[in-house]
Amino acid sequence: MGIGRMWTAVAVAGLVCSAGLPLRAAEPVRIGALYPLSGQAAKSGEDTLNGIRLAVDIVNNRYPDLKLPLAGGEGLPGVGGAKIELIAADHQGSPETGAAEAERLIVQRKVAALIGAFHSSVAATSSQVAERLGVPYISGESEATPLTERGFKWFFRTTPSSRTQARDFFTFLREVNKTAAHRVQTIAIVHENTLWGQEFAKSAEDYFPEYGEFKLAINLGYQQGTTDVSSEVQRLIALKPDVVFHASYDAEAILFARTYKQFNFAPQGIMAIGAAFGSSAFRDALGSDASFFVVRDHWSRDLAARHPAVAQVAKMYRERYGKDMDGTPARAFTAMMTLADAINRAGSTDPEKIRAALAATNLAATQLIMPWDGVKFDAKGQNVLTGAIFIQTQEGTPKLVWPASLASAKLVWPRPAWR
Amino acid sequence: MRTSLTNRSVRWTGGIVLAGALAGALLALPLGLAERPFELRMLTLIFLYSILGHGWNILGGYAGQTSIGHGLYFGLGAYTSTLLALRLGVGPWLGMAAGGALAAGAGVLLGVPCFRLRGHYFVIATLVVAETAYQGFAAWEWVGAAIGLQLPIAAEGLAHFQFHRDKAPYYYIALAILAAVTALVWLLQRSRFGFVLRGIRDDEDAVRSLGFSPARYKLAAMALSTGIVGVVGVFYAQYVLYIDPGSVLALPLSVSIALIPILGGAGTVSGPIVGAAILVPLSEYSRVWFSGSGRNVDLLIYGLLIMVIAVYRPDGIMSLFRSAPWRTFIRRLGLAPAAGDAAAGNGVAGTARIP
Amino acid sequence: MSLQLLVQLIVSGLGMGFIFALIAIGLTLIYGVMNVVNFAHGEFLMIAMYASYLAYATWGADPLWTLPLVACAMFAFGIAVYYLLVRRVLRGSMTSQIFATFGLMVFLQALAQFLMGADYFAIRESRLSGVVEAASIALPVPQLAAAAGAGLATAVLYWIVFRTRTGRTLRAAAQDRQAAATLGIDVDRTYALAWGMGAACVGVAGSLLSNFYYVFPRVGAVFVLVAYVVVALGGFGSIHGALVAGVLIGLLQVVAGFFVSSQLKFVPVYLLYLLVVLIRPHGLYGRM
Repeated sequence: MGIGRMWTAVAVAGLVCSAGLPLRAAEPVRIGALYPLSGQAAKSGEDTLNGIRLAVDIVNNRYPDLKLPLAGGEGLPGVGGAKIELIAADHQGSPETGAAEAERLIVQRKVAALIGAFHSSVAATSSQVAERLGVPYISGESEATPLTERGFKWFFRTTPSSRTQARDFFTFLREVNKTAAHRVQTIAIVHENTLWGQEFAKSAEDYFPEYGEFKLAINLGYQQGTTDVSSEVQRLIALKPDVVFHASYDAEAILFARTYKQFNFAPQGIMAIGAAFGSSAFRDALGSDASFFVVRDHWSRDLAARHPAVAQVAKMYRERYGKDMDGTPARAFTAMMTLADAINRAGSTDPEKIRAALAATNLAATQLIMPWDGVKFDAKGQNVLTGAIFIQTQEGTPKLVWPASLASAKLVWPRPAWR
Repeated sequence: MRTSLTNRSVRWTGGIVLAGALAGALLALPLGLAERPFELRMLTLIFLYSILGHGWNILGGYAGQTSIGHGLYFGLGAYTSTLLALRLGVGPWLGMAAGGALAAGAGVLLGVPCFRLRGHYFVIATLVVAETAYQGFAAWEWVGAAIGLQLPIAAEGLAHFQFHRDKAPYYYIALAILAAVTALVWLLQRSRFGFVLRGIRDDEDAVRSLGFSPARYKLAAMALSTGIVGVVGVFYAQYVLYIDPGSVLALPLSVSIALIPILGGAGTVSGPIVGAAILVPLSEYSRVWFSGSGRNVDLLIYGLLIMVIAVYRPDGIMSLFRSAPWRTFIRRLGLAPAAGDAAAGNGVAGTARIP
Repeated sequence: MSLQLLVQLIVSGLGMGFIFALIAIGLTLIYGVMNVVNFAHGEFLMIAMYASYLAYATWGADPLWTLPLVACAMFAFGIAVYYLLVRRVLRGSMTSQIFATFGLMVFLQALAQFLMGADYFAIRESRLSGVVEAASIALPVPQLAAAAGAGLATAVLYWIVFRTRTGRTLRAAAQDRQAAATLGIDVDRTYALAWGMGAACVGVAGSLLSNFYYVFPRVGAVFVLVAYVVVALGGFGSIHGALVAGVLIGLLQVVAGFFVSSQLKFVPVYLLYLLVVLIRPHGLYGRM
């Protein structure tokens, strides 16, 4: 009886109460993000990283209305509610700097996994570092086909490769030919001459034997950062291809489109890989002339019809970063969500466990904001459930025109004459 | 009055002590940097850029032929050793010899026509030659075009010139090459060869009238210069295991190779090292601290710094050490050019003594 | 290979050639008067293009009307650069001068990205966009305007340099700085004037370019490389050299791009330069 008992009662009460609280907040899971944040690709790097930042925020905080995995709660429940701490590093587009930054993030900042890198050349060297040091590396937007042909164990890629994307162009044209008045026969490939452009051109060229009804008119590489494209366009005019495949960045997309109009070059269709011909910068610069290009894109707001989360995420991105989301940040977002899901299932920050969890990933279409059938990696680390959509700008807005199951507008083909 | 014997022993002792301390520090440093790959790499980069700067300096600082196309030779070295390894299985050290030799040879071959040009015409010539090579390689399938070449990962070790977990061996190799090249440059600038080169820089016609063939000396300087740069190119290929035109042939690389010795002090032995020791950390730390906003604060600082140095120290940072007391001290250590070349680097003919 | 195609190629080549020439003329003028190569010349172009674009984006002002304003603004900017930076490095060696303007180049590029971001901006509709049909050949207006504008600017410059007192002052200072000083010419002001005029030339080029090219922080680098080759090919310090070389290079790159390879269309230009200077080590027209 007395003071002693009272204190014991207090102690017992305290223990009982504290059992309900977490013993301490779980250590954050550190993820390294490698992107070009200065120099020429700074804008793209920043936009892409913002997609990842958005994903991290959604995982870390409560968004009960958002029907995406890990959005409803705070942090990663599988790792004791730990939040993700994103550490960004700038590789400036240099493969060597990328490798060095990867090493610094792994050894000095002790990240559990890496995500990157926009440039395929940097993804190549930085993922090699990750492979050597045994750390998982996921890429949402580095497309060069050889990245998944290296026999790496630790490299995973959610985005389709250049080769897969090139094939989509042929699939699309084959379908168009079923109903077109004049069949498409000759194709010209116009590509910028750095790794991305050359990779796409090579992949596309490799498909001509398989799709024998098409012939290659010309494989035209041009210098990225050229002062004008008159000679390039004149070469195209001389060859009169039915369709042009473009692999160009923002800047030259504008230049080419303008020059096409100046010389009144209007093939049946001008198709493009990459965001350039469908971007807001392109539409701002060209106004009504931006219409009717057919872009093989990765993501579109129109997908909201299928999955409301698409609209919610797009809105959040717009509100926070002042720009419309496009295919690349959307892919990076998805890669980050995939990684978070894997870490969650791994239940720890042990690299081998995360790797195994990544390899076992099986996300359904309804858990993504992408027009894909899901996320599932093959033995090479490549996601095999990706899907393509084609976008065409009509009356100033980009519209999803293919595949028919997702289309929000009808494809205009062939493209009308320049006004 | 001091005898010359006492003077010399004072000079040598001071030099040896300082050099010994420095060498010891440099050799021991990696032990303390085991878990800090960032700093280790930064030091390795400083060594590499110093070597590049030395190479450029032989042609640009001592012989006075300013080249902004030296990236070409870096790339030639890298591509030579990599292609030999990929196509013929040649080992990296042999590849390094081949790369350096090819770069030297290319330098001489290109020097023959280019050295007929003077001043800015020569500068532009070096620029267009390098640009032609860059664009050519980016379009050439056989060397991988823009997709580049990847060296396969081999077992760690000196024989393969690849080190994976612990990068300290790269540091030591770079340091060894730097020491060798620095010694070479030091000997060179004290030799008659160096004297003639400086004469060519200051007044080529006067040198010709003295009976020397400027063309021959310029070509020799070019071979040395480009050979050294080529060797560093091979090192880079073994360090990163991936090369493409953008990383080994592009213009920004050529500019850096020229900028570092100019900033440090063209025509001095320590200029390239000082230049690298300042520019590399500046670039590295400003990237880590400032970029991330995409606003290029690091480049703002970089540009401002270059302008400030150009205005207040047009002969490079080493000119800070040209004040009389400094000069005496440095000369005692045997690190500065001989007295007659006090005006080195500013285009004014020094009071040369006939050898 | 029709006539139409040939004419269109030539017009494009000339259009770009005159732009190259105009950028190069500013550069060669500065060099001719004071032996300094302005490595920040491309950034002058960039600033002029941003100015033109911003006037369009903010007030809807057409680049054609803002052209004289941009030229004047660049004139002032050139003078400012001279007094703030270049004056102080005149006593240094060639390498230190290269160095100073190189630092300016890096700084201005970084400043542009800092203020405007890395986005690409392009003017959508302007007086000088569109095409003119002449005998079923489409002549793009921007290129025509560029040709006309550059031609006019060169003529004006020529008149100033060779027919006015100011021009005589410039030429005197170019020939012999000390002698000019003893004749009572304020060499400092003359140099500043050269910088101002050089910058104004590139300002006109930038304004014309903004009609059809996009602006971003590194746009200067794209054009200035060509400009250096133009200046060197024409001969450092020679205005008509820059004009001839610019047009020549504009035509060559379009022809090479069409008949040989688009990827390597500037390689023949570089080879031309090397060929010419091996025969004439001072370029086509040597010293002014």
